[in-house]
Amino acid sequence: MKSCIRAFSTVALTSLLLAGCAGKDEPENPGTPPRVRVITTQQYLNTVANVFGSSVSMDMKFPPLRRTDGLLANGAALAGVTAGKIETFQRAASSIAAQVVAPERRNYLIPCTPADEKKSDAECAKQFFSQTGRLLHRRKLTDEELSKYVTAANTAADKLNDFYAGVELTLEAMLISPEVLFIVETSDEKPDKHGGRPLDAYSLASRLSFFLWDAGPDDMVLTAAEKGELDSERGLKKVVDAMLASPRLEDGMRAFFDDMLGFDDFDALSKDPTVYPFFTGATAADAREQTMRTIVDHLIHKQEDYRELYTTRETFMSPALAPLYQIPASRGWTEYTFPEDSPRQGLLTQVSFVALRSHPGRSSPTLRGRALRERILCQVVPPPPPNVDFGKLENPDAHYKTQRERVAVHLEDPACAGCHKITDPMGLALESFDGAGRFRTQENGATIDTTGELDGVQFTDVVGLGKALHDNPALPSCLVDRLYSYGSGGAAKPSDRPLLKYYTAEFEKAGYKLPEVLRTITLSEAFRTVTEAKKVNASEAREPTEEIVIEEQLPTTTTVDTAAPANETQTVAMTSSHDKN
Amino acid sequence: MKSNAVRMMSVAGSLLAASVTVALSTASAQPAPLQEGGGALKDRRIGYVMTHKYWAVYETEGAKTECPQGFNDGPREQFKKLFDDGKKRSIVEAQLKREGEQWHPTTAPESFVFKEAQGNTSYGLNLDGKIGPEDFLSPEGEKGIDNQLYRVIGCIGHYRTMGTINHFENLFMRSYDDTRIVIELTEVDSLKNDDAVVVTTYRGSDGLLQDATGEGFIPGGTQRIDMRWGKEYVSKLNGKIVDGVLITEPADRVMLPWGVTFGTSGYHVFRGFELKLKLDPEAAEGLMAGFVDVKAFNHHLNTSWSTHHHSYGQLSSPSQYKAMMRLADGYPDPKTGKNTAISSAVRVKFTQVYVQQPEQKELVSKQ
Repeated sequence: MKSCIRAFSTVALTSLLLAGCAGKDEPENPGTPPRVRVITTQQYLNTVANVFGSSVSMDMKFPPLRRTDGLLANGAALAGVTAGKIETFQRAASSIAAQVVAPERRNYLIPCTPADEKKSDAECAKQFFSQTGRLLHRRKLTDEELSKYVTAANTAADKLNDFYAGVELTLEAMLISPEVLFIVETSDEKPDKHGGRPLDAYSLASRLSFFLWDAGPDDMVLTAAEKGELDSERGLKKVVDAMLASPRLEDGMRAFFDDMLGFDDFDALSKDPTVYPFFTGATAADAREQTMRTIVDHLIHKQEDYRELYTTRETFMSPALAPLYQIPASRGWTEYTFPEDSPRQGLLTQVSFVALRSHPGRSSPTLRGRALRERILCQVVPPPPPNVDFGKLENPDAHYKTQRERVAVHLEDPACAGCHKITDPMGLALESFDGAGRFRTQENGATIDTTGELDGVQFTDVVGLGKALHDNPALPSCLVDRLYSYGSGGAAKPSDRPLLKYYTAEFEKAGYKLPEVLRTITLSEAFRTVTEAKKVNASEAREPTEEIVIEEQLPTTTTVDTAAPANETQTVAMTSSHDKN
Repeated sequence: MKSNAVRMMSVAGSLLAASVTVALSTASAQPAPLQEGGGALKDRRIGYVMTHKYWAVYETEGAKTECPQGFNDGPREQFKKLFDDGKKRSIVEAQLKREGEQWHPTTAPESFVFKEAQGNTSYGLNLDGKIGPEDFLSPEGEKGIDNQLYRVIGCIGHYRTMGTINHFENLFMRSYDDTRIVIELTEVDSLKNDDAVVVTTYRGSDGLLQDATGEGFIPGGTQRIDMRWGKEYVSKLNGKIVDGVLITEPADRVMLPWGVTFGTSGYHVFRGFELKLKLDPEAAEGLMAGFVDVKAFNHHLNTSWSTHHHSYGQLSSPSQYKAMMRLADGYPDPKTGKNTAISSAVRVKFTQVYVQQPEQKELVSKQ
């Protein structure tokens, strides 16, 4: 009874402390389901770099995630790990472990020197694995876990007559342990009347860190979690402020915008070299980087209005990219402002967007319009019907001189017209740029008509499109939706609409500054609250397959007792993939 | 009635005038059309960077016309002829003797027959403005072409299309930024016809931008002028553009970077240097020609390429030197009267670049 009262008091006190942390207008929200996410390649690389330093080189790439509800990050919560994927993780772990114990690094990456390099040294191994294990597991290791790692290191060291070989093998095992590869969210407390439970401090630390830094929490954040600072308004705010001020915020926001804009498509981008010989691999890499630099500079360094990203003439230029913009360039990346009469105004006019959303040999108003709708305004454009006839469009004898004439064919067929009406009118304004992103005023000798319309706003050219987009209310609300989904690991639910509306209103009040909306989201109660998880009985467990599939289903949620045998319970994080607002 | 009609016409006229004014003011309120770059020719300037250079050799199928007697021997073949008689010799008497001849060449006759290129057709320019008996006819039919170097190298495998020098000189020129040759045309009113333009040669310092086909180069790159090597590499030429072809007047001395293997810092000096290039906004192609000093040419050859490189293309440095001295046709030594330089031509290609001049730093004493 006493313990119950103590528990109740703790819950009540924590809730009270944190209630003041969230904005006073924040609507009630039960939070997100607790999720299990597989760590992404970049998160793994960033974490390892933060733990061991940048001299540990890692040329690796984990298998791609499935884009879900607009984000790859959401696909991380649909974790599937095959034997093949484990092999990739293992290769990475093996390489990292070997580099950490290499003679040129061991003196500063291992905090102690063994008494005899040819023998095990339990004390030194304990020192190394307790420090490193805490950072890699994103929590303090239990005595039992630490003992297991130290014993393994000692056994290997004695068998191989090499202390460092023992550390290497055990570190490799740690780097591929499920505790490291999967980000598991848990809560120690009972649900409140809305079914919400606060994330435990370590889970909140990880959620904050992967969201803002795209890496596991560092010593500062973990220490704050261990000291209970994340449970208080003041403590949480202090940690969030420190994280927002950290240079690692750039890593976090680069990862987010790369995901939101679908820049993973660059990995498969190819242009027909006979049509666009000037578009090389270096052009593509720098186009992606140009947009990332523009975003980071505009939103983080200058802390300017998010909407102005779509009208700004300020960017960065590289020697490989400058020929496409028909301008001289200095060596390396330099700041550059396009002239007032330039067609390059805003992200949509950068090579990254117009070249990525084109065909290999020609531009595409439809692909560009669709990307604008889906990536930037969070709207859904249905795929073409399976029986669509592309013949009229692909006919090489077609007499259409311009893409406007070509896509007009869509409007003749009612089956096509419905969707193309929502993609083509704004995509046609981007016809000022060919399929590689080079400016043009003519196509096949005909003057290009760049007039268009976006949600009732008419414009004559791409600069007008940027302004229309700037003023479109879906622009900031889409960013908020994506940020919340990305940070919490899954798509928002229809019931989250009041919450998203609140975030958007706060975003507006703050002048659409990114750090402010990040602060609003991370300090909100909803962000640090999870719904109750459902336990799966052993009888409901799946038959073992090669792939461990964690499906999302709503409204039920499940939590796994990770300490228990896998055939008894299973961790499940859930939200319906079609449940999109 | 009449006055009413007049008044109505007047009103109508005013309305028309007003509507015209509105129309005009609307038209003037239209934003200027969007534009990018403004083209390669900016501020009456356009730059080009060299991407290809080949010592000009006029080649026919199977070399039947210009080399009916076959190609010249290289070091290996000559060495075999000289020393494969079974006699025992020291290294000093054999290998080192031959190496010594390479570094201290003479015009003394040798036992090998040097095979000069035959025929009267050659690439090149009329460098002396005369039509002489030794001059060639260009493939386009122009008389008075001066390119005696072609007589020398035309039947040396090294310099021909598939030759090693052709391949590696271009490979290394593209690989090492220290060997960048840049020209900038200024005071250009038109790339089609302009009766007076100025051409300046420079060393550039930036990489070339290879295109996606792997065979071409992307126009529109930037070359920063490299003044670290001194003003010797900066030369001004006067010229004109006729029907899209740049033709320059002879410049007394033009020094061009010609580094080859692994970043060597070689150069060539051309006397009476001229350019004839077909221009367009993205590229330039044609000939550069002038007299090269024979000793300097030979020195460059030996310091840039080792004997084993010469051997790949059957190039005997001592034999080539003798032939060059024999056929030298310009810049006689004031004392001996013997010609010291030989007329030459290089087939070249350039890609358009933006030329970026180094920052002008004011001397402290001038402040």
